[in-house]
Amino acid sequence: MTERGASHAITVIVNGERVNRIVSARQLLVHFLRDVLGLTGTHIGCDTGNCGACTVVVDGKLVKSCMLLAPQADGSTIETVESLAADGQLSDLQRAFNEHHALQCGYCTPGMLMSATYLLRQNPDPSADDVRRAIRGNVCRCTGYVNIVEAIRSAVSAGSAGRAAAGAAEEA
Amino acid sequence: MLLEEVEYVRPTNLEDALAVLADVDGAAPLAGGQSLVNVLKNRVASVDLLVDISRLAELRTIKRTPGGGLDVGACVTYDELDRSPLVRESHFTLGEVAAHIEDQQIRNKGTIGGNCCLSDPTNNLPPILVALDAVMNLRSTSARRSVQAAEFFKGYFATALESGELLVSVTVPPMPARSGAGYASLLVAADAKAMARAAAWIQLGTGGLTITSARVALARVANVPVRDAGVEARLVGAEASDAAVRDACSVAAEGLRPIDDVHGSSHYRLEMARVMAHRAVMQAVDQATAGRNGSESARRGGRA
Repeated sequence: MTERGASHAITVIVNGERVNRIVSARQLLVHFLRDVLGLTGTHIGCDTGNCGACTVVVDGKLVKSCMLLAPQADGSTIETVESLAADGQLSDLQRAFNEHHALQCGYCTPGMLMSATYLLRQNPDPSADDVRRAIRGNVCRCTGYVNIVEAIRSAVSAGSAGRAAAGAAEEA
Repeated sequence: MLLEEVEYVRPTNLEDALAVLADVDGAAPLAGGQSLVNVLKNRVASVDLLVDISRLAELRTIKRTPGGGLDVGACVTYDELDRSPLVRESHFTLGEVAAHIEDQQIRNKGTIGGNCCLSDPTNNLPPILVALDAVMNLRSTSARRSVQAAEFFKGYFATALESGELLVSVTVPPMPARSGAGYASLLVAADAKAMARAAAWIQLGTGGLTITSARVALARVANVPVRDAGVEARLVGAEASDAAVRDACSVAAEGLRPIDDVHGSSHYRLEMARVMAHRAVMQAVDQATAGRNGSESARRGGRA
């Protein structure tokens, strides 16, 4: 049993880095990521679990980080939007968002990218309907979603074309 | 938004969790937290100690019962229900209901136990559990008891749970041959809250298309899902035809006064409750006649 208290020592792996911190029991995971670790790519839109701007992946599961307390994440592995271009190179998905003008103000984009990343891990060849369902929990007030859906679908084909080309090169 | 000051503890076994819940005034179980965390942000309820039960192995499993039913741990998530081959094989509709709760992020954290114990009248699982005649298994440090789903939901945010008691699992009875389930909702948007909702379970006789047993649960016509005895009485002995089922469902929600709100008037909700009851029962008929719970026809009809 963790010791009962208003503050807790937690250990998490965030974007590959092991982090030990003392957190208050009432601290939301999103505040821990942004204010304690300085990972401000994860946004706070509504703070009520409705908008999805704070979406991250915890232990392989897509979650809204404003709906989780920091001590609940103790022992887990967390991926934030900063992990997508960790080596300084945009991922296929990020490039597709750029090319398809899938953002205007950009506020929802980190959450959209994480939901799309999660979808493509589960389903490498999603239909447009699959994509729409996958971003059901992410609100965008600028784009009307059309370009976002197109970007995610094109990242699928870019990814598979890239993999096919790499495979062909290996065979040759 | 900050929560009020609160303490947190994560017991490593069920006995410890029950002991803490019994001993500490103001202790509340925290499962997926997809409602509770917002409740705490909004200061709607005051909790002194959050007892995190979400990782307890005892509450995390889906098991087949000897007769072919399911025993679902209280901390099984909606996503796990959706993706469980065990659930899909025998209780397709239950998996399908879970698959259409809100969004992927919420399905990854929200639990069957939380959905039931919150007893929000808009929640998706209570009506299907009532229609399937599920049993809620409760534990405290000193006792265990089981409550029929139809008796568990008591009102707005109220259940049969007593102080110090925890819902540990939900037992769903087997689906006999030639039985089927259905679930129909009138939604304000895809996978969003329902204005009217019905869940149904029916049993057909061995030969022909006569309904020999039926359970119909209506949601959004009262604070809790209600079994509609009038509809059920008309269904039993009736032929499972579209016309006969429509006729039986025409008396649905009689005497009930659903709420008026921005999404629809009381009268409209009442009419829609009848339409949803008809659709849910016809889905159940489809599933029963398809012969296999997870059949293609059930799949088509089973959209939540």
